[in-house]
This record gives sequence, C-alpha cells and structure tokens, in this order.
Amino acid sequence: MTPKELQILSARFGRDNGHKLAVYEAEGGYTALRMALSGMQPSEVREVVKDAGLRGRGGAGFPTGVKWGFVPEGADMIYFMVNADESEPGTFKDRYLLDYDPHQTIEGTIISCFAVNARTAFIYIRGEFGWLVDRVQKAVDEAYAAGYLGRNILGSGYDLDMIVHKGAGAYICGEETGLINSIEGRKGQPSIKPPFPAVQGFLDKPTIVNNVESVASVPWILNNGAAAYKAIGTEKSCGTKLFSVSGPVKRPGVYEIPLGLSFREFFHEWLGGMADGEELKAVIVGGSSVPVLPAADIMNCNLDYESLGQAGTMLGSGGMIVIPERSDMVELIQVLMHFYYDESCGQCTPCREGTGWLYRIVKRLRGGEGSAKDLDLIEHVCGGMAGLTICPLADAAVMPMRSFLDKFRPEFEALIREPVPAVSSSRWPRGEQE
Amino acid sequence: MAKLTIDGTEIEVPDGTRLFDACADVRGQALPHFCYHPDLAIAGVCRLCQVEVEGMPKLTIACNTMVRDGMVVHTRNDKVRAAAKQILEMHLINHPVDCPICDQAGECGLQDQYMIYGLYDAEVEQADKVHKEKAQVIGPHVILDKERCVLCSRCVRFCADVTGTGEMGIFNRGDRAEIGVAPGVELDNNYSLNTVDICPVGALTSRDFRFEKRVWMLKPTDGICPGCATGCNVRIDHEAGRVYRLKPRRNDAVNGAWMCDKGRMLYKDVHDEHRLGAPRLEGADTDWATAGQAFAARMAAGLGLVVASPHCSLEELHLLKRLAEAKGAGLVAGPAEADRGDGDSLLLDGDRAPNRAGLALLGIEELPGAELANRIASAGATVLVAGGEPGDVAVVGEALRAADTVFLGTHDRATAGAARLVLPGAAWAEKAGIFVNRQGRFQRFLQAVVRTGQARDDWRVLGEVLSGLDQPHPGSLRELRGELAQALDLEHLEHLDNLPAGGLVPREAAGPAAGGDA
Amino acid sequence: MSQPVADNAFSLSDASRARIEALVERYPTKASALMPCIWTIQDELGHVPPAGIDFLVGKLEMTPARVHEVLSFYTMFRTEPQAEYVLQVCHNISCHIMGARPLIAHLEKRLGIRLGETTPDGRFALEGAECLGACGHGPCLQLGRHLYEYLTPEKADDLLESLKRGEIPRADTDRELED
Repeated sequence: MTPKELQILSARFGRDNGHKLAVYEAEGGYTALRMALSGMQPSEVREVVKDAGLRGRGGAGFPTGVKWGFVPEGADMIYFMVNADESEPGTFKDRYLLDYDPHQTIEGTIISCFAVNARTAFIYIRGEFGWLVDRVQKAVDEAYAAGYLGRNILGSGYDLDMIVHKGAGAYICGEETGLINSIEGRKGQPSIKPPFPAVQGFLDKPTIVNNVESVASVPWILNNGAAAYKAIGTEKSCGTKLFSVSGPVKRPGVYEIPLGLSFREFFHEWLGGMADGEELKAVIVGGSSVPVLPAADIMNCNLDYESLGQAGTMLGSGGMIVIPERSDMVELIQVLMHFYYDESCGQCTPCREGTGWLYRIVKRLRGGEGSAKDLDLIEHVCGGMAGLTICPLADAAVMPMRSFLDKFRPEFEALIREPVPAVSSSRWPRGEQE
Repeated sequence: MAKLTIDGTEIEVPDGTRLFDACADVRGQALPHFCYHPDLAIAGVCRLCQVEVEGMPKLTIACNTMVRDGMVVHTRNDKVRAAAKQILEMHLINHPVDCPICDQAGECGLQDQYMIYGLYDAEVEQADKVHKEKAQVIGPHVILDKERCVLCSRCVRFCADVTGTGEMGIFNRGDRAEIGVAPGVELDNNYSLNTVDICPVGALTSRDFRFEKRVWMLKPTDGICPGCATGCNVRIDHEAGRVYRLKPRRNDAVNGAWMCDKGRMLYKDVHDEHRLGAPRLEGADTDWATAGQAFAARMAAGLGLVVASPHCSLEELHLLKRLAEAKGAGLVAGPAEADRGDGDSLLLDGDRAPNRAGLALLGIEELPGAELANRIASAGATVLVAGGEPGDVAVVGEALRAADTVFLGTHDRATAGAARLVLPGAAWAEKAGIFVNRQGRFQRFLQAVVRTGQARDDWRVLGEVLSGLDQPHPGSLRELRGELAQALDLEHLEHLDNLPAGGLVPREAAGPAAGGDA
Repeated sequence: MSQPVADNAFSLSDASRARIEALVERYPTKASALMPCIWTIQDELGHVPPAGIDFLVGKLEMTPARVHEVLSFYTMFRTEPQAEYVLQVCHNISCHIMGARPLIAHLEKRLGIRLGETTPDGRFALEGAECLGACGHGPCLQLGRHLYEYLTPEKADDLLESLKRGEIPRADTDRELED
C-alpha cells in the first residue's frame, strides 16, 4: 500500500529473496556506503542525518544525528550497538526489517558506525527471534566476503567488525544501557546516568545505541539527501515510519507510512477497517507503553509525534494495537500489567515492587475481590512509580494503567459493584507464580 | 569550588563534591537512603535520596549527582517528602514487618526512615504480599532472610569490590529478585560480618548475635581490636557486664569502616570459661590480700626476669620496665614466634598481637622460644610473666614450671598452670590503655565492662608492687600516662590521656621540627 | 542449599567446545562472551547443568554468582532439564485479542495439563510467553527456534500430532540457510 517512492524501508518486504546480497546490490544496495566512504567525512554524514530530522525509531524519538554528536572527540575506541531487541507488545517491525532486508540494516549500520568513528558494532537480536538470527548472520558473512565489513572497507582505510549477538528473553534489554550491560555479560539491567553511554558505555567506552529502523533509514537518506527526507512527513516528524498493526482489522501487518498520515485514512484505506463483525473500541497507537485512546479520540489524530502528543498519547514504537468492542478493558490491562511485572528488571524499588503490586491489584479486581478503594490505590501506586526510577519501564507500566482507568473507568467500577467470576479455565499467564 | 543553595542555605564546597554529602552537611542529617555507602560504588537503586534540583525536569538522586555552581536544591519540600514517603512505602509493601523477632529492630533503616518519612497506614493487602525464603544460613557467620531484604545491593558490592570474593548476587528479576549466595558457594571470607553491618535491614544478620540481645539495651564503648597489629577501631557493645558483639568503628587512617571476622569474635575471650577469676598460690585459690603479700615478699627477695608481652598495653609495659630497672632484672618479651599467622591484603596482619610496636618503642627485646626458655632457666630469682600466653610454647612452659614464676594474666592455660603465683588481670575490654599499631599509631581503648571475678587492673597491681619497693608509683592512669609521655620523649604532644578518638602517630603529629628521620 | 559441584553427565561436543573457544576469541572480553557461550551449551544439551556452570566459571574467569545471575535473569536460559517439546504460547495483548486464551485452554485440554506444567511422560511442556514479535500474525507459539503463527485450535492439533510422531513441522518462519 505504500507508494513506491515512499518505500524507504519496505522495498523488499514480503519477498522471498530480498535478503540476498545480489538482490540488494542490484536494487542499489551499498551505493550509499560507497558514497560515504569514498568522499565524505564522518562529520558530514552526521550533518546529513541530523539535517534530515531522523528521530530514533525504537520509541524514544530522540534525534539520531544529535545523539551521534555526543561521542567525545578523539576517543580511542567507540562501540555501536544496533538495538534489535524489539519486545514492546504490539511491535514487530524490526523483525520485518531483519527478516526481509537484513542488508539494508547492515549497510545503514556501517554508515552510522563510520559517522561516529566506531570500530566494532553489535547487532543485539532478541532471543525469541532465533528463527531469523541465522539469516542475519549469513547476510553479515556476505557483507564481509564482499568487502563491506572487516578491514579497509572498499579501500577506504576504515575498519569495522560486526558481531551478531543473541539475547535470551528480557524486554528490559531494549533499554540502551540494559542492552550494553547485557552484552557485557551481566544481567540486562539499565545503568544510572550519568555517566551517559555516548561518553562511557560498553566497557566504559563511548557507545551509541540505535534502533534497527533508525539505522535502516540511513542509506536512503544518504542516497537521496536530507531535503528529500524532510520533504516527507511533517516539520517535526520527518520521513516515514513503520507501523506494526495488530488486532482484528482486515489487513494487519507492517506498514511504512509517511509521518503525518491521518489515522482515519490509514485505518480505512490501508487497513481496510475492522474485520467483519468487529467494531472499533480503542487503539494503543505506539506499543503497549503509551496511553490508550478511545476510538473517537484516535480518529481525529494524525500519525506523527506532535499530533499524538497533543492527543495525550505518544507515537512510541508505532506498535498499533487495535482493540475491538468485544474487549474487556480490565482484562486487557491485567494482561499488560502482568507483562511489566514479568519484565521489570528488579533493580530499583518503585518499579520492582510497584509492577507486582499493580498486577496483583488488577488481578484481584478482575477476580471479584476488589473494593472501591482499589481504584484509588491503583493511582496511588502509579504515583509512587512514575518519574522516580532509573529507567522508564515504570512509566511504561503507569501510562497504560492510568489511561485505561481514566478512559474506561466504568468497566473497572462495574467489577466492584458486580463481581465477575474468573471466566477462564486456564491459569494464565505462566503458572509458577501468581 | 562551587557555590550552591540547599534548602535556602548557601554553601561553598570543592568541585567534585557529591550532592548527597553536601545535603547531609547542610541538613545535619543524611538524606533518606539505603543503597548509598561512602565506601562502595554508587548503585542508585533505592531511589530514596531523591531531591529537587531547580531546572531539572524530574527529581534526581543526590548520591549520583555532583554539585554544580549555582545549583538550587530542595530536600524538604512537599514534592520531595511525598516522593520519599511513597518510595519508602514501596520498600515496605512486601516486607514481612516481623520486627518482634528481628535482630535488626532498633537499628533498622526501615524503622528509622518510617518514623521520619512514613507514619502512614499500610495499604497493601496481606494476600498481595510476596513471600521469600527466611532464615537461610549462607555462611559460618551470616544468616539471610530474603523477605526482609530491600535489595539495596550493598552486600553484593562489598563482596565484589572490597573483598573481591564475589560470593553474593541478586538472582531472578522483578519482585522475584532475591539476594543470595550462588548455589554451592558460602559466604565464608574473613570479612563476612561486615555485610551484616552494612545491611540496613534485618536481611543479613549475625548468627552469633541471633536472638541474643535487643540492641537498645546495649551500651557502646570505644575499643581497639587486640587481634593483630592493624589495630582496627571497634565499638564494644555491652550490657550489664557482658560484651555481646563488636562493630567496626570508622577510622579512615586505619581500617576504614571494616574489621575482620577473626577480630570480631575476640569478644568471646573476655567471658570464656577459662578466665582467671581468683588469685592462686601454689595451686590453691586465695584472696588478693594473701596473693599480694606473696608477691611483695618475692619482689623483696629478688626479681630475676620480667617477661612482657605484645598484648600488654603501653602503660603496663612502662611499669614493667620500671619494675625491672628498680630490681636490676632482665626485661624481655616472647616467644617471638608466637602470635603469628597469615596476613591478607585487606586488614588482617600476620602479626597477631596489638602492641609489638609498643615493645619496640620501649626497647624491649623479643626472644624466640628456645632462647627465652634459657633466660628463664638462668633467671636466678622470681620470673614475672605479664600478659600473653608464653607457656603455650612447650619449651617455655617447661622453663616456667621449673622456675619460681608469677603470672599476671587473664586465662587459665599453660602459663597459669606453670606459675606458682597466679594473679588475675583484666581482659582487653575490661581496662583502658593504649596500643601502638603497625603504623606507629597510638590508639586508646576504653574499659567497656566490669572485670570478671576478682580480676584487677594490671597497672594497679604493678603500681602496688612498686610502692612496696618504695619506688615512685602513679596514683592514676593519667599520672601514669604523664610518666610514659616523658619516658618516650613526647611532651610536645597533648597529654597522652587526651588521645583523639582516631589515634595519633606522634612523629606525624609533631611535624618535621620534632626531629627523627622525618 | 548446595548443589553437586560436578555433574558427571556433563559432556560437550568438540564442535561446541570449538565454538566456545572462537567466541572467547571474538568478543572483546571473556565475560562478554557469556551469553553466546550459554546458548552454545544450551543448544546442545537443552539446558545448562551445574557442570556447565562450573565450565563457564572457569573458561570465562567469572564468579559463580555472576554466572548464576545471568542464568536466572533471562527467561530463555534454563538450568533444569527441559521437556522434549516446550510449547510457549504468547499471551500478551495482541495475541490475547486474537484468541490466545481459548487456544491455551484448547492445548491444556489436549495435553491434559495446565499452563506451566509438563506432561507426565516428560514430552510436552506448556508455558506462557510474553510478546514474541508476531503481533499481527497471532495467536502464535514458539517451539525452540520455530515460530508458529496464525494458530487456531485445528492448526494446534496438527502441530501436536506431528510432534507426537517426533516430527517438527516446518513453520512459515523457518528460514533455511541457502548454500
């Protein structure tokens, strides 16, 4: 559905041969790398990307070119990590990028490494993507064989080593310092800042961590120029973004859209609206950690950072979860609260204890054992978590919790007045701990 | 230097000062905290020390913030107080609150913080509380209660960075996270009990102290560990004449905030069953009047040899020297090979006596056992053994048994067994004195508990003997120290009776003008 | 509290040992090679036994505490022998909306066990999993390196039948290595 001229990232999605080096090269692959290494300075590459207005596509939305500028001058060793730990519920776009077009990510990474003078790059792929790790490794091997990686790349004098690193099941490794600690051979617990990773990261050396989609955008930007990228999207939300769409729409999947596209058009034209027999109730637009919007609210939004921000939510990772009318919102928030309880790294007290507490309160509520004060208690717990922790996981739990309670309060209150017996015969989630 | 404002007070501190410390100075009390410890790496996990720094969007932890010129900080406003209260609540929701059976009660960070910042009614349902394993022995000295743990990670950092032994870790994630030792590993390094000191709650507690005494009943007295030449500064916690435990006392020049387990257990010597409770003459218990007469009679008849010990205080050694001089007796110490062991790279010294440096200062030669035995055999008159257990070395013990030996000591072992006249002296926690450690530091220790049985202050006993010989004798410890200072040529110092709590190295204190090889 | 220090059943193939050597060479520090070394052992043995932990402690010069921390932190690392087939069904929000719970209930009925349990013959374990990155293709199930998507109770039955015969059916996401 993406017009060809906007297929910055998705040109080879859905194909069964797009991952091959020969195909990638035939379609213009590694041209940008040649251009960067043969005639540009690292600082010039940084300028182009900064000028293009590319923002971190993992969820934080921080300007990529600006982040690259934080690396101190003259460092003796700089590391680059590609964050392919994609674990945000509702998000599955980096999977598509690595599965269908690994060379694009590889090329983008090499250029990005050149831009910050990094000499070793890691691609940190979540363990649950074990089924595509071999494909990525094979692509990396192809790149080495073709002279795009290793020593003296394309005769430029630039060396880069690239290691594919597999995670082992921890959402928190998607936080950049958690990722760094994980590769160091520790638990993937985020680090306190300062120091900041760009100055003191992996093995205490300057380290840049970028999302897959961010680096995958770089070759096109270099090939077509910053102005062309800025011409797409809006003033503060340049370029295209991959939206992962799940839920009972007619055509779920991963879509590359120009930022600023209206949700209404996206929903009806691109997604085909709800599947037969389903009605739209609400949408979580940016991965589970952003506030939910009822149908009426999201319909008036454009899919960009500012418009969604003004509507009280966030673009985040672009993991769009479409919630149908039949859904029990308290049941859904219990699912999410279990997720954060499961994934909290446990380091800092407000998140460690708060995520568990929120889950248990909601579970009790759903089990018919909640009282009216539990709704106030939920807000009280949220207040003891948000903004008080080492990393934003606590906020990521609090934002959906608060928004569900705020936008769908009657469903919570109904549970107090008329207790709902536990409907499921299965003891879900994973049964060893309540 | 940086000028900043904390709670309306402007201060100036050196660059690189931690905001946590600057706030503590201004407030007169530390910010609430668990994970911060001045001798450990910053963790930043308890989140309690958060303060408001104007211009920053969120509260920030003071332990990981360095002061900056122009900073304006609030530590007591509503926002900060509310955060502290809520974060404290988070620490408590899964805490068992079993204070009635917890040794930490009375010196517990949670209790203390709750009284200052909490004072709320608990909102968590009992059914929602997470339970973990309690009462797990993790080493010879330490027992762990995982439920009480607030996961501050101090113990993990201590084992990783201070002892370098890395026994402890935090396993699992989320609220299933728990402190512990790795399977198959024990917390058995020689500093394990420091983890109990630094644990702010009752998660890590001492097996030795378990259920022994409520801490608010204990009185603290400054002491110096007698276990080795390091002379770790300690706090002797006691009640009604019994010592219950030792804690390290911070001295950044000597032992930092730590002490070793071996030293920590030495309090047991004070009350063990072998303490000499009464004087003994020719194997039969007697009283001090009789014993004192027997001692005086022997001294009048002649004193052949004085055997001192590196366990004697500096004051006692001084009086022993005066006695030897008055009677023309030899003065030695030994056996030199006794009280030796392996040292480590932290605090434990291979010299397992607290005052060998004192012997050296007073010019008292230490002899190896064989030679000491010969000197005893050829003493020609009464041999006075003061302090230590030289009789533990067989050849010395035999020589003592053959001689007319008087023993002024604390325990009924080989030396007391070999002596004709046994005089019970005070154990290290039962008297005041000065030890000189391996740095040449004069460190004073104070009397914590009353003396066992009929044990007497050793310096008084020696003073009485001198008096009986019509020699000048000090009437008080203060007078004695005055004599000592003169004898050691230390008049330029404050009177030795006023040693500062952290001890003093006389040559350093005197400065370059004092001479010597400075 | 202690586990046996040496597990006599631990033996690692030469290929795995060689791979571990290569990893230690490649990674900037020994400790940073920990995760791929754990994967190497687990890929071969199905879990990391106590002797494997000792091996890692020695080879990577790490403390037992550090290695155990890592093993206990990541959900995919296992220190106990596993069932022959560990079926992990995503129960996060998108899959939930698309029918994960009825699917789980169906599997529970078919296998005769509850979520979190293993069949008495040790062949099948049923676990819940958090988001597997297949949200638009749900409900989904992970079996080792295989990801089965667009699952229905019928497809789940087909999968179970294959597994009972000892065959792991090909998933649409199985990516064969080209020559």
